Amino acid sequence: MKLTKKQKEQTKTAYLFICFPLLLFMVFTFFPILFAFVISFYDWNLLIPDKVFVGLSNYTELFNDKVFLISIKNTLMYTIGVVPIQTLLALILAFIMNQKLRGRAFFRLAFYIPAVTSSVVTSIIFVWIYSKPGLLNYLLSLIGVQGEDWLTNPNTALFAIMALNIWTTSGYFMISFLAGLQSIPQSLYEAAKIDGANQWQQFWNITVPMVRPITYFVVVLGLIGCFQVFDQIYVMSSGGPVNSTTTMSYFTYNNSFKFFRLGYGAASAIVLAFIIFGATWLQKKYVPSEAY
Amino acid sequence: MNANLKTIATLLFFLFSLIACNTRKDKVMRLSSWVSSPSETEIFKQTLDNFREKNPDLEFDFEPIPGNYSEKLQLMLGTKTAPDLFFLKGMTAPSYMSFKILNPLDEWIDTNPAFDKNDFFPFAMEAFQRDGQQYGIPKDFNPYVLFYNKKLFREANIDTIPTNWAELEQIATQLTIDKNNDGKTDQFGFIVEPSVEMVMPFVYQNEGYFQNPDGSLGITDDAFIEALEFYHGMYEDGIATMAQDQGVAWNGDAFGREATAMAISGGWLIPFLKDNYPDLEYGIIPLPSGKKRATVAFTTSYSMPKASKHKEDAWTLLEYLVSKEGMKNWTESGVAMPSRRSVAELNGFYEHPTFKVFMESAEYAKPFQVQYSERGFEEVVVAFQAIFYTGKEPREAMEDIAEQIKKYSLVGAKKK
Amino acid sequence: MKNLKLQKVLFYALLIFMTFIYLGPFLFSLSISFNAEQDVFSWPIKLLPDEWTLDNYRRVWSDLPFGQWLFNSVLITVIQTITNVFFASLAGFAFARLDFPGKNILFALLLGSLMIPGIVLLVPKFIIFNELNMINTYPGLMIPTLVTVVNIFLMKQFFETIPKDLEEAALIDGCSYFRIFWQIFLPVSKPALAAVAIYTFQGSWNEFMWPVIVTTTRDMFTLPVGMAFLKNEFSVQWPLLMAGTILISLPTLAIFAFFQKYFVQGVASAGLKE
Repeated sequence: MKLTKKQKEQTKTAYLFICFPLLLFMVFTFFPILFAFVISFYDWNLLIPDKVFVGLSNYTELFNDKVFLISIKNTLMYTIGVVPIQTLLALILAFIMNQKLRGRAFFRLAFYIPAVTSSVVTSIIFVWIYSKPGLLNYLLSLIGVQGEDWLTNPNTALFAIMALNIWTTSGYFMISFLAGLQSIPQSLYEAAKIDGANQWQQFWNITVPMVRPITYFVVVLGLIGCFQVFDQIYVMSSGGPVNSTTTMSYFTYNNSFKFFRLGYGAASAIVLAFIIFGATWLQKKYVPSEAY
Repeated sequence: MNANLKTIATLLFFLFSLIACNTRKDKVMRLSSWVSSPSETEIFKQTLDNFREKNPDLEFDFEPIPGNYSEKLQLMLGTKTAPDLFFLKGMTAPSYMSFKILNPLDEWIDTNPAFDKNDFFPFAMEAFQRDGQQYGIPKDFNPYVLFYNKKLFREANIDTIPTNWAELEQIATQLTIDKNNDGKTDQFGFIVEPSVEMVMPFVYQNEGYFQNPDGSLGITDDAFIEALEFYHGMYEDGIATMAQDQGVAWNGDAFGREATAMAISGGWLIPFLKDNYPDLEYGIIPLPSGKKRATVAFTTSYSMPKASKHKEDAWTLLEYLVSKEGMKNWTESGVAMPSRRSVAELNGFYEHPTFKVFMESAEYAKPFQVQYSERGFEEVVVAFQAIFYTGKEPREAMEDIAEQIKKYSLVGAKKK
Repeated sequence: MKNLKLQKVLFYALLIFMTFIYLGPFLFSLSISFNAEQDVFSWPIKLLPDEWTLDNYRRVWSDLPFGQWLFNSVLITVIQTITNVFFASLAGFAFARLDFPGKNILFALLLGSLMIPGIVLLVPKFIIFNELNMINTYPGLMIPTLVTVVNIFLMKQFFETIPKDLEEAALIDGCSYFRIFWQIFLPVSKPALAAVAIYTFQGSWNEFMWPVIVTTTRDMFTLPVGMAFLKNEFSVQWPLLMAGTILISLPTLAIFAFFQKYFVQGVASAGLKE
């Protein structure tokens, strides 16, 4: 097929327009994906010039590494705990905000602030809130409960960080839902009211099904975010105590940049990537959605 | 078409020139330390100023590294952004030396009789030796000693000091008091910390090791477990507290707040107390002894990376900092003990009421070093957390990790 | 009717309760940042300081390299915002409005890269930058996110909604594609450009994982990295730290308060089109 002059010019222009991003993605996204696999077959330490090819031994070591297995467990727990709660909370908040209420802009901003604030900032604030003489225990003491040091107790540390995550992201997802809700035709609700449906029934029978595509989007984003949670762990607990908050991305970071075993770290990141693919695939398969 | 080309080309040019003009600053020699207390930093800067006066032509930048020092330093060494002279903790020295990234200093030491290497405490020098080469010069050392609160001792009518484990336990019990009778202890006798360094003095006193002299792992030996059980037992019995339980950052802070009447710490606690709790009435004594006297001493060296481009200059600075004059300057206030015997004498530390305790401790102190990589070390930290935070049995916790740790033996670890 | 009223009251109560949950921690840290006492770990805690002071804010500038960190953060954020807006709209225009061989494959490839978890790229990217001697440099900090796929995607979506006749008239007049893009498309795309700019600003300003790995000396830290390191310091000075965190949060907060409209549009379109 011969290109017309116009097509030729379009092609030239188009490639000129996209050449920079393309170059960038080639060097810093596509090439690194392949490179990551290569590294994962090596014993790669920046301080030692010789990189030794070790085949699959990084992978076999991973699955015999107790800490890695704990990190998978923690990551799954984290995700399973955070994603449903933040999604539901975001949806409920959006539903309320979608009512004709005064001060919507204010509430929207208020709920949104945690989401736009630096994760380091919110983590630092919550370190203080969760400490033994902190705000949370103060509030608990008002109702006669004696709290503990939430971040140094291995039984509570992960949950404390999960709660922080829900707090930061639910506002963001609320806005996604709100946009979806506003596109639901009012006539549907009117019809439901005529049929005598109460608010609760309207929520379940109209709102929830109508925002399903957005739910899909919110859940996928939530999954990807939770599976890779890092900032909060780094600032708040460094994976401790007793590895109770070591997530997979923190494990990757720790092994790559603290113990300097970059090959081992790359291997653990690749395993994490496959777990994420698996989770999104499962969701696609078992949670029906019009979105795809 | 021309217009687009120009605009895009300009932007690309701008971007690439940004990349190109990025010459990393390696023109001037850099010296790095960790961030210590303001008073220590002040003294150190003073010492550096003295050096500048003597060597006005030698330019260098002093850049303290905040946060996780060892982690950051390792990253810098791996990315060729390391400073030309830096503090190296004795504890991490074996792994750095095994990576062969440090520059041996023997050539300078041997050609320079004024350096007088035999003046240094041998244990401090040995901490930075591997395969017969010297990879760092100890700048100072600091042994663990026992701090006790004189006022709280008086209030509890205690006029003795603990000299062995049984007395430590007994006195700590007497000092553990529920002042307002609300069922909660307000003042503890002692403070513990789930860290290996804190347990090691007790292990050494009990004639145990982390790593036995033959190179085998000692953490499951009875001597180690007994010491750990004794140390943890004080917390379990409620006569010792932990920094976390008090909502403070570290032991010294808890001691300053009188949340505990006794605390094990090094000399760095002295300036901290002076700055933050100037009215605290405290005394310093050697650690109580077990089967024998022992304590852990921390030592830090100045080391330089192989990749440094300013080795001669770095040595000039290093030589001054560990010379009698430089070391006296740095240590005379007592922030750390001099690693040269002659400087300790010059400072009058052997007769000083406080510092003589440190100098005495130096005679039986051991540095804590193991031939395992950091990952192995982390396993122990986690196991200790399990013991102190979740009440896991010490023996069980140590046995659970023993096999794992053996895997992290350093490459070519020498058997002493 | 009475029922409805009750429901409204209930909704308001819930919203106000949630506002406290979402804003409370910030208000509390604001209060600490004005506390004259360094020792804020007293029990029971005080919700408001006994003695107010601005000293902590002054000390953030005098005792910390806050100015340097601010400079780094601003430099990176501004450059990344400009390059993202420019290159993402340029590429978005090409994908939305030009026909060229390989277009669909390339676009699919770009979208596919969104599925790659960033953590996989961490180690290889670090090694590449190390080989290029760009660790601990501004280019090292900036280059990976000079343009992002999400922004290209957003711009493409937006340009597709612009009616065709505009550009056809211009083409007949002999305008180049760049002029069409520059003089016709950009001026009508302000909401989308604003959304891209705001997203990028927020993302760059708050980015933590890459800067924490790629910076090794204190003078190259960005604000979040600097703050995280302060938190790990020997003795944490909470009022100082809180003052710092409040200062870091102000720019994003201000931008969101002023440009809420654009931002909500951005989230909405990202959500709907996925």
